[in-house]
Amino acid sequence: MAEEFEPKIVAFLCKWCSSAGSDLAGVSRMEYPPNVVPITVMCSGSISPLYIFSAFNKGADGVLVSGCHPGDCHYIKGNFYARRRIALVKKLLEYIGFESKRFQMSWVSAAEGTKYTEVIKDFVKQLKPLGPQTQLRRNL
Amino acid sequence: MVNLKELKKEAERILEEGKVKYIIGYERGTNGFWPTPAFIKNPEDVEKLIWDPTCVYNLTRFLVDEKRRKAKEKKPDERPVAIIVKGCDSRALIILLQEKFINREDVHVIGVSCENGGVLDEKKLARRVKGKKALKVEFGEKDKLIVTTEEGKTEIPAEEILAERCLECKANFPVIFDVFLGEKTKRQLDNPFHSLEKIESLSKEERWAFWKEQFDKCIRCYACRSVCPMCYCDECVVDTINFAVTADTPAEEKAQKIKWVEKSPVSSENFVYHLVRAIHLAGRCIDCGECERACPLDIPIRLLNKKLEKEAKELFDYEVGFDPDQPSLVSSFKDEDPEDFIK
Repeated sequence: MAEEFEPKIVAFLCKWCSSAGSDLAGVSRMEYPPNVVPITVMCSGSISPLYIFSAFNKGADGVLVSGCHPGDCHYIKGNFYARRRIALVKKLLEYIGFESKRFQMSWVSAAEGTKYTEVIKDFVKQLKPLGPQTQLRRNL
Repeated sequence: MVNLKELKKEAERILEEGKVKYIIGYERGTNGFWPTPAFIKNPEDVEKLIWDPTCVYNLTRFLVDEKRRKAKEKKPDERPVAIIVKGCDSRALIILLQEKFINREDVHVIGVSCENGGVLDEKKLARRVKGKKALKVEFGEKDKLIVTTEEGKTEIPAEEILAERCLECKANFPVIFDVFLGEKTKRQLDNPFHSLEKIESLSKEERWAFWKEQFDKCIRCYACRSVCPMCYCDECVVDTINFAVTADTPAEEKAQKIKWVEKSPVSSENFVYHLVRAIHLAGRCIDCGECERACPLDIPIRLLNKKLEKEAKELFDYEVGFDPDQPSLVSSFKDEDPEDFIK
């Protein structure tokens, strides 16, 4: 029997909110799929589009960028910059015909452990039917 | 109409007065038709200067090189450099000023207008004159260009042989200048993003197939990067020049240095390179079309940049290259920026 496809998600989480949110989900013993590889960054605004392309290039099936809700940024406006940048990345990926469902952004605060688990659950559900990501995967 | 005599007179005047170090302009190249960039230091040489629809190059790239050269000189000549710019080149200059890469007082701008809307497209011209050798192209009356071939002069409607970008140009006159020659004719375009329609109408799979075919051709010569006036980073993310791997490079050192993109010209790496290049030019590309012209494999690179220009306009109401005091696209935001894609 063939094993079910388990997508690998690279999640860039803001240190001040989403990362703490995922911690909260952990310490509260909430269950969510173990498909995520979390990478803590100092701010969602510090995420270069290159990180995202590179994650896909090195074999991620999905990339999640998660930051603070607008107005809650530790650095006042980092997430506003991220919002603009990610919108452009998303449009560019759509334009070249990349499966844009593989790329997602969310706002998760430090208190939203439940929301974090839901975001991951939904994302995994969304990625499973798509199968492995081969479009940008490094193939030397 | 740009009076070439006036242009030469002005060039001669500023050189004789010693106001500028040298003039960057166009002169006739060795093949007799296409021009080559000219660097004129002596007032006697101004006769070489030309201005006609064959002057396709964006000369602002040389300002980037000039800045680098000046930084290395022990006793640099502090006089400004004069440069001849068309509409699109002047917008490139605005971006360089906006990013404070060059200072306004370091450059003396001689603006020329693109009379009937622009410069030539090499392939379109070759097709139009049906393999005959074009000897000379001049601006004519009423949106026509006068092409001289071996068989004599013919008037050709401008849109048939103009470069694609010139047909989508919003302002075919310089927006920043010290001296201006010619007339300002702002065009009203129904659809300034006309060239994108074809790809945007395709399905997702077709778009992927199209770009895969294009990027698979790429040999990673980086001509698009070398020719771009905006690609002025000292070290590009795609080639970590400070990191040479030798036989005795320890593993820890290798692990610390990140190689974002492999140098091998394979499909996946080419995709990442072109995506990164496009995103780095978002809100900065002024559509001078040099990347596409320089590409030896005819990859429609311009269409990537144009798409991001369109998105910047539609999502953030951001217009590129008209105001040097405007904050750049990715270092500014508005409260009402769209966020419907965020969960």
